[in-house]
Amino acid sequence: MIPLSRRQVLKSASAGFGLVALAGLLDHQAKADEKGAPKPLAPKKPHFPAKAKKLIFVHMNGAMSHHDTFDYKPQLVKDDGKPGPGGGVLTASKFKFQQHGQTGSWFSELLPNLAKHADKLAWLRGLHTDTPAHPQAVVQLHTGSANAALTRPSMGAWLLYGLGSENQDVPGYITINPPPNFGGAVNYGSAFLPAHFQGTRIDDRGNLPNLRSATGSSVQRKQLDLIQSFNRDLAARPGVPDQLDGVIESFELGFKMQRQVPELLDISKEPQKVKEAYGVKDGPAGSFARQCVMARRLSEAGVRFVEICQPGWDHHNNLHKGMIDRCGSIDQPVAALLTDLEQRGLLDDTLVLFGSEFGRQPTSQGADGRDHNITGYPMFLAGAGVKNGATYGATDEYGIRAVEGRMHANDLHATLLALLGLDHEKLTYRYAGRDFRLTDVKGEVARAIFA
Amino acid sequence: MVRPDETEGSKLMRSRSKLRAGAIVLALAAVSGLARAAEQPAAPDPAKLEFFEKKIRPVLANHCSHCHSADTKPAGGLRVDDRNGLLTGGTTGPAVVPGKPAEGTLLKRVTQKEAKRRMPLEGEHLSASQVADLTKWIRDGAVWPAVKVPASLGRPKPEYERLKKEHWAWQPLTNPRAPGVSNPAWPRDDIDRFVLARLDAAKLAPVADAGKLALIRRVTFDLTGLPPTPEAIDAFLKDTSPGAFAKVVDRLLASPQFGEHWGRHWLDVARYGESTGPSRNIPYPHAWKYRDYVIDSVNADVPFDRFVREQVAGDLLPAADDKAGDRLKVATGFLALGVKDVNQRFKVRFVMDNVDEQIDVVTRSVLGLTASCARCHDHKFDPIPTTDYYALAGIFTSTENAAGVRNQMGGAGLAYYVPDQLLRLSGPVPPPPAEQVEKLTAEVAEAKKAWDAIRGTAEGLKLAANGQPTQRPYRLKFERLQSELLALTDPAQRGLAAHGVRDAKVVTDTEVRIRGEAEKLGPVVPRGFLTALTVPEARPINPHQSGRLELARWLTGENNALTPRVAVNRVWAHLFGRGLVSTVDNFGTTGDKPSHPELLDHLAGRFVRDGWSVKKLVRAIALSRAYQLSADATEAHRRLDPANALVWRHSPRRLTADEFRDATLAAAGTLDPKRPDGSPVKAFKMIEMRDNGPEAKGIHEAADKSRARSVYLPLLRGVIPRSLEAFDPVEQTLVTGSRESTTVPGQALFLLNSSFVRRQSLASAERVLKDPKATDAERVGRVFRNTLGRPPTEAEVVRVLGFLAEYESVVRQEMAAAPPAPKAEPAKPKKPDEPPPDPDQIDQTGETAIEEVIRPTDARTAAWLAFVQSLYASAEFRFVE
Repeated sequence: MIPLSRRQVLKSASAGFGLVALAGLLDHQAKADEKGAPKPLAPKKPHFPAKAKKLIFVHMNGAMSHHDTFDYKPQLVKDDGKPGPGGGVLTASKFKFQQHGQTGSWFSELLPNLAKHADKLAWLRGLHTDTPAHPQAVVQLHTGSANAALTRPSMGAWLLYGLGSENQDVPGYITINPPPNFGGAVNYGSAFLPAHFQGTRIDDRGNLPNLRSATGSSVQRKQLDLIQSFNRDLAARPGVPDQLDGVIESFELGFKMQRQVPELLDISKEPQKVKEAYGVKDGPAGSFARQCVMARRLSEAGVRFVEICQPGWDHHNNLHKGMIDRCGSIDQPVAALLTDLEQRGLLDDTLVLFGSEFGRQPTSQGADGRDHNITGYPMFLAGAGVKNGATYGATDEYGIRAVEGRMHANDLHATLLALLGLDHEKLTYRYAGRDFRLTDVKGEVARAIFA
Repeated sequence: MVRPDETEGSKLMRSRSKLRAGAIVLALAAVSGLARAAEQPAAPDPAKLEFFEKKIRPVLANHCSHCHSADTKPAGGLRVDDRNGLLTGGTTGPAVVPGKPAEGTLLKRVTQKEAKRRMPLEGEHLSASQVADLTKWIRDGAVWPAVKVPASLGRPKPEYERLKKEHWAWQPLTNPRAPGVSNPAWPRDDIDRFVLARLDAAKLAPVADAGKLALIRRVTFDLTGLPPTPEAIDAFLKDTSPGAFAKVVDRLLASPQFGEHWGRHWLDVARYGESTGPSRNIPYPHAWKYRDYVIDSVNADVPFDRFVREQVAGDLLPAADDKAGDRLKVATGFLALGVKDVNQRFKVRFVMDNVDEQIDVVTRSVLGLTASCARCHDHKFDPIPTTDYYALAGIFTSTENAAGVRNQMGGAGLAYYVPDQLLRLSGPVPPPPAEQVEKLTAEVAEAKKAWDAIRGTAEGLKLAANGQPTQRPYRLKFERLQSELLALTDPAQRGLAAHGVRDAKVVTDTEVRIRGEAEKLGPVVPRGFLTALTVPEARPINPHQSGRLELARWLTGENNALTPRVAVNRVWAHLFGRGLVSTVDNFGTTGDKPSHPELLDHLAGRFVRDGWSVKKLVRAIALSRAYQLSADATEAHRRLDPANALVWRHSPRRLTADEFRDATLAAAGTLDPKRPDGSPVKAFKMIEMRDNGPEAKGIHEAADKSRARSVYLPLLRGVIPRSLEAFDPVEQTLVTGSRESTTVPGQALFLLNSSFVRRQSLASAERVLKDPKATDAERVGRVFRNTLGRPPTEAEVVRVLGFLAEYESVVRQEMAAAPPAPKAEPAKPKKPDEPPPDPDQIDQTGETAIEEVIRPTDARTAAWLAFVQSLYASAEFRFVE
């Protein structure tokens, strides 16, 4: 291809060179603008080669009880009803646990479908965080910092800043149904990173602001041609704003997004078999299953970071029924998501992270509840770059405190970045006179789970 | 602590840093008078420590920490895993008073007669010998392993001394003479001589002057954030007198829109927002008063030094009457309206986080220094030791943050609101009906007792028949009664309150916090200012006040060179798109060096000599030849100085989100120039809101409906008005001296499909179509003039008329094929207000304000709408040359 300058292209475009051809050229030139400066969202080389190119975070908001799902402790069963260390009454899970797969991982009966993936998961069992309150812990999980005084960029924003976007026609960072409190937009914000890197929030029906064309696409194309003709006139004038090329391109991309993004988010055309596998249904009860299908579609389209969210795990009371209900809504969809990603070969370059902002106590709260526990709880990873069936870290005999392989949010973030080919100490952004990192001044990579 | 009053600057500085270092050394040796009664020796008795480790720590860890530690919810606000936690105690007072076993709550609660209330509530009670150990330990001074104070703390650092001498920003202001230039006919002002001399040195010539049309559009946006009206343009183009442009500038400076636009600049820096932000978002219903204060002050051209003093210490300045006093109280909103983590468990952390936020906003906005970096350790790049940070911190810990919120972990309803804490503004409040108040007070107390009794108990958490916890009605009843009582007694409900600060009841120096951890107390530091700057005229801190007054004077002292440098640089950046120092919020060693150091000092000196008048400064710069350059660029210029740091042309800039919205309304003729009465947030109670809950929905609807200028839109943190979202609105949690200007496809989608742009396009189209006599070509001309401020070229008229005809015919065919859908069904009647749900248990699929789809009813209007919208969407509309 002849390296035409963009301004030359635009001039020839105004001289009758068709817009269709222009759009094609723009596609190829998405990587760099006229002056060779990299575009902020163009794909960037990682710091080192890595299998994982994309991340899906399956966020169990509210703190899922690990004692009733993944963290089986024989000692807790034995000491059921006795006083716990530090107070309270130890209370073993009422749900049956069983070992699964060749790794013999324990799962409670609440997660029969997920248990089938036992050998595919890589466990981080020694997580801990700073604050036993949802707002700060959710913010810390997403940004690394629990300090509200200085708002930090979210991990998705850092990822986009570090790696760019693979597909210029869709947002590179999408969060579906994020928590409306607990930090709200901070959890997918870009803070002091430029706004291109912030997450785009959509709901579980795929609604994105301003995406729906208010007119028919044929007349809108005419309107767009008129807009671009004004822009090209401006491009021919001597005092051109530097951003003009980007403006012209952004209209073509936006126009394309109107068609492509709704198609991408429309799960109704998925084969019936797929919908059944995920357990897709209408209404609020089907929200999470729909999110899982959308996550797969978005990831497949090259979206760098997708977050989906199942709230409602804060079982200070109503633990028994609540766990049956919530696990029932996530077990099949998450299992189906893993299967689907695997069958499409997407697990080869996609990493899945599953977990909550913290765990819960092995002691009981009230008649049927568990209080917050920030000192030890698990999360799991699956897919690109991680060792199938690996385990890193452990909690104590009751599942209270992380005693081995302890991981703070900074360590988790360092590990995720490393799996995606980024050195967390080199991924920096200068703001207020300082080179900021997602991991602040900390962060250790848990290499034990790397494939 | 009063400092010796010396006059000679450098001597004072030296003696001060010595004094500070000395105080620390004394405290370290624990013989200083500064050491508090509760403080323990730096090297406690090893035998006592062993007793603590063997007998006391295990009891606290095994029997208490389950409910009272940093890792768990500190029930009652008490934590037992930290000595200061025990000394400070929880909601019922200190748990431990060293040496006095009879005084704290700890022993009382573990030996409580009533077994049900005895601690620990769950698990085994303490044995008699454990209680005896605790008693002995408290009597012996409640010894705990000492906090390790880093050896470097308070020690002078040679590299700091070097930086203080060498870094340009901290040197005294110079008064440079205007340099000679290659072309003496070019400059109109000394500003131009400094600019041209730099260009001469780089062998670059300035480009030609801007045309009159470009110039009036530029200056009108830059000074008022609005486009010039077609009449203003015509008047300027016709006016051939030499003072024509000065007339325009003076008119704009005198217009109320100047204060709205330049007030907005300061609100960006002051990280203005109408709610607490992250964690739990509590509205600030009176924040808009601070917004109006800023706008009015800018319009009144309150001298900038005075403006700073009012915001830092308005409550301590003399006021002629109640009205003036109210204004000064409102000014201190600057210190109160920051982000707050009200969900913080520990009061000491809440306080120190807020203090940090205040130090950050003051030092970065006024001084361009990142002093808050020194919270945990000596500043890595700038000469700001941790002791300087805590010298400032003492001023703010001696200040009550009267934002009206308290910290509390979890909690709903009015739990975070502290009505008495807000600043009371003057005005009569009729005495509330005593009988009713008395009755309600009793009822509130009773409801609170009932709620406290059942809250969190097994019985309370049991689900009732309606599927909700049994305790829920108790809480709701308490909150309802509390609200009713407040409605009668709270002056804030009559609008007579402001968020701001006042001096605290206890005024005292504070301790260094080791590694920034609020509980880890190091030595006490006398209150004071940053030692990086030499301000000899600064006065010592009045021991009976917080020290904000002296801080305010230090910030604006005659010899504080940094404050005017930072201020004039901000003004320059707003007028040229780039500061002489490009890092406008950072003048430290990691910031950029000035492109024109002499010009910066010239402007700073002139600013101070002109009485810190922002309007005079803006006027001088706007009338300079440098400001009036065209935007033209040659390849040679671009190659040598692509960023235009040397000002060889005027760099085009994109409108900000606020300007884009205002210009769109102005062009459509729908802008309401009046200031609205307060803000929609005014009606809110200080209760947590979700970003997709009913309050947020109401805010979005109010913002969508508003035709007022963008500065008057409701600006709750995390709830950005949709009409501002596309074009990089200000990040309300951070000090922001320069806005981002990104280009993303989402902006194109906003321009093509948002109801805001389409509604304004429709209004504009209907306006030109209304005149039956005009030809279509005339109408096209009017739209161009209203929107872009210029007539169309002949080619443009032809192109647009062709577009209109084609578009109209396609739409007509489409409409004939499928008649437009009937109007959206009317909104369902609102459900009666439901009691607020527990914020942690809500279903998170929210309520969203629906965006109306704008569809004109006939093909001709549709075509004109599309044309007007195309001009709004054109780059020309949102870039200013």
